[in-house]
Amino acid sequence: MSDRTIDRVAAATPPPVARKIRGLSDRAIAWIFVAPTIFLLLAINIFPLIWTIRLSFTNYRANRLTREPEFIGLRNYERILTDSDIWLNMQATAHFLFWTIFFQVLIGFTLAWLINKKFKGNDLWTTIIVLPMMLSPAVVGNFWKFLYQPQIGLFNYIVSFFTGKDPSSFEMLGQVNLAPWSIVIVDTWMWTPFVMLICLAGLRSIPDYIYEAAEIDRASKLRQFFTITIPMVLPFLMLAVLFRGIENFKMFDLVVQLTGGGPGSVTELTSINLKREAFEKWRTGYASAYAIILFVTVFGLASIYVKALNKVKER
Amino acid sequence: MSSFSITEPSNRTKWFAGTLVILYAVITMIPLVWIAITGFKSPADAIAYPPKYIVGSESEAGFQPTLEGYVNLFTTRTRQTQDFLDANPPETWADEIVRQYDMVIVGPSKFGERFMNSVIIGFGSTFLSVFLGTLAAYAFSRFKIPLADDLLFFILSTRMMPPIAVAIPIFLMYRQLNLSDTHLGMILLYTAVNISLAVWLLKSFIDGIPTEYEEAALIDGYTRFQAFYKVVLPQAATGIASTAIFCLIFSWNEYAFAVLLTTANAQTAPPFIPTIIGIGGLDWPAIAAGVTLFLLPVMVFTILLRKHLLRGITFGAVRK
Amino acid sequence: MSNFINGLLRLRRGPWEMLATIIIAVGVFMLMQPFVIWAFTYSFITTLVGTVMFIIVSHFPE
Repeated sequence: MSDRTIDRVAAATPPPVARKIRGLSDRAIAWIFVAPTIFLLLAINIFPLIWTIRLSFTNYRANRLTREPEFIGLRNYERILTDSDIWLNMQATAHFLFWTIFFQVLIGFTLAWLINKKFKGNDLWTTIIVLPMMLSPAVVGNFWKFLYQPQIGLFNYIVSFFTGKDPSSFEMLGQVNLAPWSIVIVDTWMWTPFVMLICLAGLRSIPDYIYEAAEIDRASKLRQFFTITIPMVLPFLMLAVLFRGIENFKMFDLVVQLTGGGPGSVTELTSINLKREAFEKWRTGYASAYAIILFVTVFGLASIYVKALNKVKER
Repeated sequence: MSSFSITEPSNRTKWFAGTLVILYAVITMIPLVWIAITGFKSPADAIAYPPKYIVGSESEAGFQPTLEGYVNLFTTRTRQTQDFLDANPPETWADEIVRQYDMVIVGPSKFGERFMNSVIIGFGSTFLSVFLGTLAAYAFSRFKIPLADDLLFFILSTRMMPPIAVAIPIFLMYRQLNLSDTHLGMILLYTAVNISLAVWLLKSFIDGIPTEYEEAALIDGYTRFQAFYKVVLPQAATGIASTAIFCLIFSWNEYAFAVLLTTANAQTAPPFIPTIIGIGGLDWPAIAAGVTLFLLPVMVFTILLRKHLLRGITFGAVRK
Repeated sequence: MSNFINGLLRLRRGPWEMLATIIIAVGVFMLMQPFVIWAFTYSFITTLVGTVMFIIVSHFPE
């Protein structure tokens, strides 16, 4: 024990005062530690958000600095929510969301299930499979564009190698019927490992004795799979699905680099559409209302996500 | 010696599972390997059909590796007359490469600059978010903070925001404050994006450190603050390091804010790489070279992180 | 089911959160469904109600 004067003074005084002599109180430290984070988030996230809400009720245009914005009430919201083109963008987003989640869950879960068989070297192969997930989506979109090139691209070559189709007879990025699938393929390639990792954690959280007990009860392997494996992994799967859902709902970088929303607007997901309204057409007020609609949707999903997160945490 | 267990998969199952997983891993690597190879091709070989994939072979599927892509990535070149070329013989190996197109190197390209911007902004924002995140995570982990759950949810929800949704007012705000297209502006912005991850992830790491050590230190006469940096910080070192790598990767990869808020001075590599133009269209070998250089550090970091990957992507909820 | 209604009446967190979750899910579905445009029109208000409700009810006792 040290015997600095300050400690002896502290030892002789009642506890609250002692703490003050020794240093800041816990409460003060807690606030000093948390305050900068909260302040930064208020300045760079919440303040802009409130500003967006305000702008969403006006007809402000950011490229015309001289004109005073007018307050136009809910008209922006009205226009967006009755616009059938935006409705179509939403459906394009829905197509993208549904199929990416479908394939990622299917492949991701299968892979996790296979890896959980603990064959030799599974760690090494898991690490290799995980690589695409951590890469920059914009750059990934950019080089997949190269792979998708008609005539010269590797993707067309491989498809024609296996199906015998002429490699110049189809254009993944240029054809209205194929372009929505081209973005699904790339997103699945990139994010399947994410679903896989979470499923793997779910599978590994199931204790062996449950299966052993089922073996003793002579439950078939198939029955074990549906009554033990699936229900136990489900909360983890929910987490993965929600997270991918949120991320893909606001998908921007990957698709903008890959297709730029085209051909026509068949791959124009909502974020890309929003970017056009805000930074190309400069309809700032209108785009702000659009942003708020997307934000509320994401926020709603995020609250469900956090609920699912806490559920998994308790396990 | 094999321990007997009825839940242990049979050897045949293992073999079957292993084959399928390895097959998937190989398929998943094809695009990445292809890009790495393309970086070493000449522009003509890069767009040849059928694709050339055997290094150094004279056969139809073979190509001679060249550093053209990398030279084009880092330099700007101009075409010159034959007289000029005759009067100025090539000085370096890079000169030799561009000579075959009757060109000379006139200076460095923007790539190095953009790459450095990525490094500066990445490290700057990582340092800030880990620094602030550690403090906040410690406070959330150890002290009773009123409305802690709401604050934590608020912090996490900021990460869920669609970047384009907040980009509009940030664009206006930065225009007012003269922060648009500056390093400081981007560092602050990326810090705000990353801090939620840092707080949640570090909280999960600090939650895992037993409180006994600190309590012992407090009894020994340490102040709270001393206990924090002399006892907790060293134990949280692994957690802090992996959080830092996550933050670095995310700011390294970010595109939406970079493309909307930067144009020249502070532009990072992701918006720049796709714009590399060669003779008659996109210069694919140069782009592939840029992509390879840009992705390589992330791959190395991912391999380093593999033990903490799951924790990172689930904001610390799943610890394995 | 009667537990659920009972929980709602006694302002318990669990069932109310469930209800809010369902409203949010319905709102998100309405936003992106390809069937009728009026559902798209009213999707935003549905999601907003669900989200606000979620924030409020998550402060109810367990």
